[in-house]
Amino acid sequence: MEVVKEQKSKNLWQHAWGTLLSDKFAVTSMAIVTIYFLVAIFSSLGFIAADWTKEIGPSYAPPSADYIFGLDIFGRSVLAKTLKGTEVAMSVGLVTGIISMIIGVTLGGIAGYFGGKIDEVIVWFYTTFNSIPYIMLLVAITFILGKGILAVYLALGLTSWVNLCRLIRGEVIRHKDREYVQAAAAIGGGDFRKLFLHILPNVMHIVIINFSLQFQTAIKSEVILSYLGLGVQGQPSWGTMINDAKLELARGNWWQLAAATLAMFIVVLAFNTLGDALRDALDPKLKGK
Amino acid sequence: MKKTLLLTIVTTLLFGISCTKKDVSNERTLNLTVSSKVKGMDPIYSNDRYSSNEVARVFEGLLEYHYLKRPYTLVPNLAEDMPTVSKDGLTYTFKIKKGVLFHDDPAFPNGKGRELVADDFVYSIKRLADPKLQGLGWWLLDGKIKGLNEWRSKYAELDAVDYNEEVDGLKATDRYTLEFKLTKPFPQFLYSLAMPFTFAVAKEVVTKYGQELLNHPVGTGPFILPRFEQSNKITYTRNKNFREKKYPCEASEELKVKGLLEDCGKKLPLVDKIVVNILIEDQPRWLNFQKGKVDFVAVPKDNFDTAIPDAKNLSPEFKAKGFELLISPSLDVTYTAFNHDLELFKKNKALRQAMSLAFNINDANKLFYNNTALPAQSVIPPGIAGYIENFESPYRGTGKAADLAKAKELLAKAGYPNGKGLPEITYDCPASTVSRQIGEYFRKQMAQIGVNIKVIQNPWPELQKKITNRTVQTYGIAWGADYPDAENFLQLLYGPNRAPGANGSGYDNAEFNRLFKTASVMQNSPERTALYEKLYRIAAEEVPWIYGVHRQSYTLKHAWLKNFVSTDFEAGRASYLNVDLKQKAEAKKKL
Repeated sequence: MEVVKEQKSKNLWQHAWGTLLSDKFAVTSMAIVTIYFLVAIFSSLGFIAADWTKEIGPSYAPPSADYIFGLDIFGRSVLAKTLKGTEVAMSVGLVTGIISMIIGVTLGGIAGYFGGKIDEVIVWFYTTFNSIPYIMLLVAITFILGKGILAVYLALGLTSWVNLCRLIRGEVIRHKDREYVQAAAAIGGGDFRKLFLHILPNVMHIVIINFSLQFQTAIKSEVILSYLGLGVQGQPSWGTMINDAKLELARGNWWQLAAATLAMFIVVLAFNTLGDALRDALDPKLKGK
Repeated sequence: MKKTLLLTIVTTLLFGISCTKKDVSNERTLNLTVSSKVKGMDPIYSNDRYSSNEVARVFEGLLEYHYLKRPYTLVPNLAEDMPTVSKDGLTYTFKIKKGVLFHDDPAFPNGKGRELVADDFVYSIKRLADPKLQGLGWWLLDGKIKGLNEWRSKYAELDAVDYNEEVDGLKATDRYTLEFKLTKPFPQFLYSLAMPFTFAVAKEVVTKYGQELLNHPVGTGPFILPRFEQSNKITYTRNKNFREKKYPCEASEELKVKGLLEDCGKKLPLVDKIVVNILIEDQPRWLNFQKGKVDFVAVPKDNFDTAIPDAKNLSPEFKAKGFELLISPSLDVTYTAFNHDLELFKKNKALRQAMSLAFNINDANKLFYNNTALPAQSVIPPGIAGYIENFESPYRGTGKAADLAKAKELLAKAGYPNGKGLPEITYDCPASTVSRQIGEYFRKQMAQIGVNIKVIQNPWPELQKKITNRTVQTYGIAWGADYPDAENFLQLLYGPNRAPGANGSGYDNAEFNRLFKTASVMQNSPERTALYEKLYRIAAEEVPWIYGVHRQSYTLKHAWLKNFVSTDFEAGRASYLNVDLKQKAEAKKKL
């Protein structure tokens, strides 16, 4: 958030931060999300769950003191797989969020600010784009890139920016004739400056709220895709774990399903709670209610 | 207003449901499953077990396997008799059954199916050879029928293929006489006439539907499918004009028991309807079977321990429900093939051997086959000549430390010590959970020696396409016998058979090709078996694939399903099966 330089905005952020901290649920959610992020970072650096491929016991050993979440078909630790799956889930959430944020904010800002023909073209473009289901796009992308996490990033990122784009466009239209923008124009600010340095910081709260909600949608989508065998390949994902579990349940092995769903449930819940809390804290219209 | 609307919808729904729920208790319906999407119903493209079984319900060939005789014996189907063979073994003359009718279809004048004639076989086999259609069974006849190869290559370059041009070795000498002339003795020739690839299609039907024949099968077979759709259910109805074909009255000794001859002399098919459910995953298949919605099912690996606790007998609980267990070895081999188009594998035998040694087959057997399969040492399964009892391949990985050490040594010899310098290798497999798990297991095994594998899942038709187009590096698949002769397995490694032929891996070895070429034209004899064994040893030494296992099939069936026998050649079986409706109604109460 380094674009936020003005004194006034800083106060807004500080104020929001204060509101957020006074909300117990929000703080807990933030803590959970932070933990997930840390797990993801550490596992990608190889500090934890690096040996998830290792066979540490008999096939399908049930949960016990030795194996907290039990073992899978190859005797691999379900706990390690869950942790490694966190890395996939969080990275998909993050990258998808960033892709959709960049496209959504840029196009939304341009459409709202310039209006006219440009606006029409962009609106046409996103309504068209919005009609593509992400699974279809994913299948198309995998034909070019092959299956894998990159295709998942792109497919989810490219299909999830439209909502944000709409919101930003509307918000920019409301802002572009306000006094502070006219003042900026009066002291010689160009279009780019007005849009990105003056208007954008004032609509940033929408981006943040949207990002946190986008994040958990992406996680859920990744799980679904991996469950269907369209997602990540050769890497543990909560989706593939649930896919394994659908056979294992016939043997009475519940632990892989439990671990994956629990991990997903907690993070999705945390992001949802956080998203709501952010909205409460950041949206000026909800202030004092 | 809204409420009324909703109410009308609900009533129509209810009404609709009650309407479709006809009283069907008198209809004998066979409920089957297939574990993969079916590609389509054109005989010349039916190169996998799933589609060829479906094709064989609608279409028929000259010959078939006797339903109740083991070892497998060919008997006439659309042919009147077994052919007369000339002394030099090169000319086969068939008499075709008279009065066999194609299914009624708009493709024929007045919509009435016309009589099958010898020309239909000439046409159908030419279709298999048609260079424009790229039929997937061409390998079967490649170079074997006089003049057919010339006909094929002549039209490969021309725009249109002329089916009227006579081919020397493939002639209808009169309305019901069909004559084949072979280029060289080809003892497996008759087997190929029992395979769906050579089944009879009518020219009118192909002219009318063209490529769409895949979805409009019209044959002479016991069942009719007006239109094939890529849905999860295929429903066939009995062909009312089916010719007089009787259930056999004789059987091999081992099949004389179990009441298999009760329907002796009855007119086939014995059921009125077949419903084939496409259920790709194990558990839905298994649960549907237990609910009595499917007549028989292969026991899934994850339910094996509960169903068959001692690996021999059915659990008492299932016995009480009236399930019956059939165990039989299958003529098949599972394997992981290398794409020999790639220099990486083609040139580097040591790499292939290293990877094979690193693959622990015993654990795979435990994990995926409940330890009931037989680890494969080479390409030929037990039960047919050419298989060597107690032979152990030196490159068969068994999980011993010595194997791993040797694998590492070979990998270094191949130029990739500890996998250094080796690119990531992709492994393509079908989309089901078990296939993926096998892929993951492969990846894990290869990681032990530093070989990186990336597992890619594909829908079955797409995997086939990828193999045909050679865009795979390694892939996991299995081969089930088309006919009971080792030649059918060895040809998978015969160089000239490369994809789109049956040799999907593209393996090409001059010595192997030479020996195979000799053996493939020999009549069954000790000399031929010796050659087969030699080829078996070469295939073990050369490791063109990483061999998997020879499976055993564990099939559970309901007691109401009659006449069911395990077979490696399922094509056409459905017409012999019967359902005891009374027994079914009673048994279903218990489920």
